[in-house]
Amino acid sequence: MSVTMHNRPVKVNKIRVKRGKLEAREARTGLIFMIPWLIGAAIFLVYPIFESLRYSVSDVKANGLEGGMSVTFLGSAWNANYAGAFERNDFVQGLISYVMETVISVPVIVVFALIIAMMLNQKIRGRSLFRLIFFLPVIIVSGPVLSLLTGDGASSLTVMDTQTVTTAISSFLPPAIADPIANLFASMVTILWYAGVPILIFISALQKVDKAQYEAAYVDGASPWEMFWKITLPALKPMILLNCIYTIVFVSSNDSNALILLIRETMIGSADTGGPDLAAAMAWVYAVVMLALCGIFTAVFLGRKDPYEREAKKTDRRMKRERRTELRIQRRQGRRAKRAHHPAAR
Amino acid sequence: MALKGRHINPKRFDRGQIKILLILLPLTLFMALPIVFIINHAFKPMEELFAFPPTFFVRNPTLDNFTKLMKFSRSAGIPLSRYVFNSLAVTVLTVGLSLLLTTCAAFAFSKIKFRGRALMLQINQIAIMFVATAVLIPRYMVISRMGLIDTIFAHVLPLVAMPVALFLVKQFVDQVPDSLIEAAHLDGANDFQVYWQIILPIIKPAIATAMVLVFQQVWTNMETSSYFINDESMKTMTFYMNTLVNASNGVAGQGVSAAASLIMFVPNLVLFIICQSSVMNTMATSGIK
Repeated sequence: MSVTMHNRPVKVNKIRVKRGKLEAREARTGLIFMIPWLIGAAIFLVYPIFESLRYSVSDVKANGLEGGMSVTFLGSAWNANYAGAFERNDFVQGLISYVMETVISVPVIVVFALIIAMMLNQKIRGRSLFRLIFFLPVIIVSGPVLSLLTGDGASSLTVMDTQTVTTAISSFLPPAIADPIANLFASMVTILWYAGVPILIFISALQKVDKAQYEAAYVDGASPWEMFWKITLPALKPMILLNCIYTIVFVSSNDSNALILLIRETMIGSADTGGPDLAAAMAWVYAVVMLALCGIFTAVFLGRKDPYEREAKKTDRRMKRERRTELRIQRRQGRRAKRAHHPAAR
Repeated sequence: MALKGRHINPKRFDRGQIKILLILLPLTLFMALPIVFIINHAFKPMEELFAFPPTFFVRNPTLDNFTKLMKFSRSAGIPLSRYVFNSLAVTVLTVGLSLLLTTCAAFAFSKIKFRGRALMLQINQIAIMFVATAVLIPRYMVISRMGLIDTIFAHVLPLVAMPVALFLVKQFVDQVPDSLIEAAHLDGANDFQVYWQIILPIIKPAIATAMVLVFQQVWTNMETSSYFINDESMKTMTFYMNTLVNASNGVAGQGVSAAASLIMFVPNLVLFIICQSSVMNTMATSGIK
């Protein structure tokens, strides 16, 4: 028996069910709540994004002083801009180093945020003050403040001598891997600053974990270490994913990101060095790479299903199969009965 | 439970806290560092700004940088108060509108079932991933076609639908238990009452967080001023501060830019301090388990 949640008429055991008044009303209120946002998003987000997709497969030329631009579709050579983007050495290099840095720094940020959140969830004196200070970086990382700070070199650990760490790493690792790690150490403070929102999200999740679970585990003789792995971490799992995605987005769409600066430069640049079409193609490549990164993190964290859920699904499937066989047998018996009643029909 | 949540600081200090404090304290210093730095930087006299090795704390604080900034702004045709007013109006409008739209949409996405919900969420996801810079030209086309160039709406509308904020708020609304909403429905509340009287109070921490984030985006935004506005008197303060810093480049510019960044930073800090109590007042206190 399967009832989908959609409003289309659904077949349930051959009975046609029309969509009910309640469902229709719910759909209507849903739309009413959505409409303002939808209009805003459609005009200023979705349409521009699709326009830029069109630019990326077209030849865009600005029409001089009178404004406006001519957009002509490239036809069969639609991927010329994408090819152009990949011919740009600075773009490809930037993309590679962006991927390496993100893959390394996002887990660092999230794990750091988790550790800090666990500590801030303990009973310590001055806890609210600590929480305040750890959330504070949120107002630092975006905007002009960060650029001022990085400009002054305040974002690298001048206190710690990172040079020794860097040389030690590069001595036994190939440069392709060693460089991002060295960068990681060089920008350690920036990374800590990115952890503001993740820490907050983790704390709110931690406070919702049922205390009774810990008590039950304690009674059963579990150590704190086991409790962390068996209770805390599973409870935090959805939030870990949320934080990973949030951090990827935050790091990637930051104004000081080198790739974004490159895209902006290309867009404003003249026709021979770039132009809006090439910039649009770059932006799409960048967006796809970001999406892929998020997909990888999602796969890592949602890959293993709950054993209970898996078992439930299996049972569900088996029951469906049994039901089908039952129906088949019923039908067969019906046909046989018919034949028995009207032997002449043969 | 609700009462317990208000007093999050334990009353007594015991030895078990020491090991945690040992780790937290140095990190706290790191976190607070930049703010101390910004404040100190703005009051440094010229020779300290260029001192090598750079000093962290100011030794002889002066107001020189601020007077210089004032002098620059007085020589311009448009009074500073105009920019301040523009910035305030734009920020208040954008933050208010976008929070209203975002919470409405998050409620609908999370708790009301309707067709096309999954698709819209997908679109939002893609919009999060997309580089905002790349849609600048299409956005310009939209705004100029709607005749919004040189109006306040050119500042407000492009930033109203913020996908990241929607994503964040929706995650929080997801955690409001359905039984709470059902109970309200049984008591005779309609959907708008549920939204206004149940969802909004519960997700207050998320709203405060989103507010800080949206404010950041709007307050530090220069793109709308530089691309959608030609009229000098409609531009925002952020843009003006930036032009000041650029115009007074070189040695003298350093001091002006330090002072300007402190001025731009102060509203951030003020809003943060106002919001922080409700941000920190996490969901544990709001009746959900």
